[in-house]
Amino acid sequence: MPRIPAIALLSLALGNTLPALAGDVDRWELPIAVKTLDNGLTVVVSEDRSAPVVGVSVVYKVGMRLEPKDRTGFAHLFEHLMFEGTPNAPEGSFDKVITGGGGRNNGSTRPDYTNYIEVAPVSALEPILWLEADRMTTLDFNEKTLKNQQDVVKEEIRVNVKNQPYGGFMWIDIGQQAFQKWENNHDGYGSFVDLENASLDDVRAFHRDYYGPNNAVLGIAGDIGAEEAFRLAEKYFGKIKRRETPPRPDVSEPLNTEEKRITQADDLAQVPAVAVAWKIADRGSPDQAPIAVLAEVLAGGDASRMYQGLVKGKEMSLNIDHLFGLTGPFEYNGPTLLTLFALYKPNVTSDALIAEMDAQIARVVADGVSDAELGRVKTAMLSDWNNSMESLLSRADTLAIFQALWDDAQVANQVPGWIEAVTSDDLKRVAAKYLTAANRTVIDRKPKAMLATEAAAKQEG
Amino acid sequence: MHKTLIALATTVLVCGQVCAKAPRLPKDLPSYAPDKPLPVPQIEQKTLGNGLIVWAIPRQGLPRVDYVLAFRGAGLAADPKDRPGFASILAGLLSEGTEKHDSKSIAEIAQGHGGGIGASAGNDGLTLYANALASHAEPMLDLLAEVTRTPVFPEKEVALTRANALQGLKAAEAQPGFRAERAILAAIYGDHPYARTQATEESINAFTREELQRAHAQRLRPDQALLVVTGRIEADAAFALAEKAFGDWEVEDTGPEVIAASRDRAKPSLVHLERAGSVQSALRIGRPAVAAAHEDAIPLRLVTTILGGGFSSRLMQNLREDKGYTYGASVGYRSQSVGGALVAGADVRNEVTGAAIGEFMAEFKRIGTQTVPAAELEMHKRFVAGGYLIGNQLQASVAGTLAGNWLVGLPPEYLGEYVPKVRAVSAEQILQMGRKYYAVDQWSIVVVGDAAVAGQLRQYGKFETVK
Repeated sequence: MPRIPAIALLSLALGNTLPALAGDVDRWELPIAVKTLDNGLTVVVSEDRSAPVVGVSVVYKVGMRLEPKDRTGFAHLFEHLMFEGTPNAPEGSFDKVITGGGGRNNGSTRPDYTNYIEVAPVSALEPILWLEADRMTTLDFNEKTLKNQQDVVKEEIRVNVKNQPYGGFMWIDIGQQAFQKWENNHDGYGSFVDLENASLDDVRAFHRDYYGPNNAVLGIAGDIGAEEAFRLAEKYFGKIKRRETPPRPDVSEPLNTEEKRITQADDLAQVPAVAVAWKIADRGSPDQAPIAVLAEVLAGGDASRMYQGLVKGKEMSLNIDHLFGLTGPFEYNGPTLLTLFALYKPNVTSDALIAEMDAQIARVVADGVSDAELGRVKTAMLSDWNNSMESLLSRADTLAIFQALWDDAQVANQVPGWIEAVTSDDLKRVAAKYLTAANRTVIDRKPKAMLATEAAAKQEG
Repeated sequence: MHKTLIALATTVLVCGQVCAKAPRLPKDLPSYAPDKPLPVPQIEQKTLGNGLIVWAIPRQGLPRVDYVLAFRGAGLAADPKDRPGFASILAGLLSEGTEKHDSKSIAEIAQGHGGGIGASAGNDGLTLYANALASHAEPMLDLLAEVTRTPVFPEKEVALTRANALQGLKAAEAQPGFRAERAILAAIYGDHPYARTQATEESINAFTREELQRAHAQRLRPDQALLVVTGRIEADAAFALAEKAFGDWEVEDTGPEVIAASRDRAKPSLVHLERAGSVQSALRIGRPAVAAAHEDAIPLRLVTTILGGGFSSRLMQNLREDKGYTYGASVGYRSQSVGGALVAGADVRNEVTGAAIGEFMAEFKRIGTQTVPAAELEMHKRFVAGGYLIGNQLQASVAGTLAGNWLVGLPPEYLGEYVPKVRAVSAEQILQMGRKYYAVDQWSIVVVGDAAVAGQLRQYGKFETVK
């Protein structure tokens, strides 16, 4: 028989009805080393020699919230332009160097950060660092590639939004409805007019203001030691000059005090859907980890209360999923929503579905969560956390994001403890404080034909 | 047209006729470091008395154990003609109730092991997956065995699955890609079961609980099964757990039927599925190809990578980075047990629908008529080798790839031999594969888009219009 840790034998012997707690053997402490260069670039390294592979992430502390006001979608368009060449590395060479190094690369734009990520055989690490340093220094500000990427971004918006049923309303429209400040409630994908109006001057200014080394974090995870990684970071990034970053506006917003419900007509969808969102605690609040656990209790997978209550049980919806804005429960730095999203059945109303959600929330507020259930949920969350750190790409990225948003990459090793410390009383408290009707924004998204039928029925009635 | 050219430290540059447009390489760019030896997964193998094969790949990574349990011949291709998508429904219902536990208990037990359990059907097999924190390896495998061996398909769960599948199908039909996929599979595979992988309203309404029970007995059998175990567990321990969970499972019934080979050529069909108000055309361009174990499979995969397998591929560079027609253009080689397909695609704005098809065809023609420059070939070989290394870093990926290879008839050592075999492909072979599989008169074209784009399609032949 295998060597099996005592804790597992215990749970076997006593059956599976007891809380299955994760043993210490399942905790996974990551090596994390941090150093800030003289120009302000912070470097985070996690050594892992298990494969000759390295993940790299360069995170800039700018995202959709800070884009210029008459330029919705600009932070994302700019992200695309970061791949379109520099005076030293002409258009096309960036991707080819990484492809030829055996690597994969990508970038993404979020409310509070923009990340540029690569994973590759470790033999490609130095060329990758060279390319990242090169595009941090300056870009090839070029009309042709600007026009090209304006077209590409418009196709991206068509394929993900305009030509799709639901059009991403649970992550785009919901924020527009829930927030009050422009920084938080504009369309981060952007209007076509604003995208077309973007100029090379805009591109130059954004790069100058937000893409300096002092506004960035470099994350490296994989087959390299911390000292060697710091040396390479200094070699390639050390000579880039610090650039002044504009003062950050106050983007904070209080919780909402009046419920907002709207109905949208969907030209393409055939099945109705609903998004229900609540503003949640600020980054760093003691409520943050309890909210993360509460989301799992309510809607984290097949064992969750709303899956069992709404998909099973009352059989009202086809699914129940939760989202934390465009990121995760610990990866934001400004007003953010916990959103529940479900496709629901034609014989069900959104009101009835929301009433059932409310009943599930009220149960948590009144009774809390049993030790057994809380134990299971925490075990699943610890496991998910470990899983998210397995890929060297996502590990480098997560560490860099934590350094950028929390000013502390070590948070990655603290999150499991924060989750473990959450109590039933914490869940009662945060459910009562945040998951209220007054703090809620709802979008009921219905097939156009369904709305027309309802309107006709109303007239007749 | 963009050219792809890169100076690799180890490669002599060969300038083709399009060299002038190749991107100049950064002059200060450091060279790639020497490659480290390719790690090859060490697979410990054992076959249980009832025929169930167990492969263990111990690793010292994160504290997790992964299980993949694959059943050959149990997938969508085994479904009767009037039951398309049935294997997916069967897979979904396995964890919805067993002799010992109901659906809710199964979900809660899996959650308590810090893992998940699930199943899905592919063309050539039905595969169950489970993972757990390392300390929960044993009870999780027991749960996997329980849902595999003793599902009871409760009436209530069957009814709910049927109702939700009907709604799910309705939701899927609203996506252009879903309709396009169904049409291109029909064009490629004709009457072969590989064409029928999506459920229909009729098949969802028709399947019965008895059919599920019968299919379970016929298809999920130890003598048609492979269990892959990866993670923080020793091989002997993995074998012992497998023996305990599956050793007393006896073969009943007869095995799955052998599925005939799918065709390697098809008369091209041209189909326009109208979608009112569509602001893009979803293009899918496909043709039959060869099975996974065919001798052409490796060079065909490489030529397909050069053409449309990544950001630096020709289709991506041309249709996105040069023309700005699309967010992404690609082509993939889908290799199966008894056949295969090449399927290319892009979603493009309405006004460039015809032009985009033209660019696909131009790239297909070029790959079969002009020798690929040595540097471009080398770049893509290194891209493939890197992909292997990156996948090999993730233990669930290793387990999934091994099981997937086995389902399509490839041996365990295929994974470790793959990169050296790709490296050995010559430019002449690429040209030959291009000529053989990318000839422009062999392609079926499916367009899901507004009626107004019809005029742009005429230059490619007479399209059948489906309202």
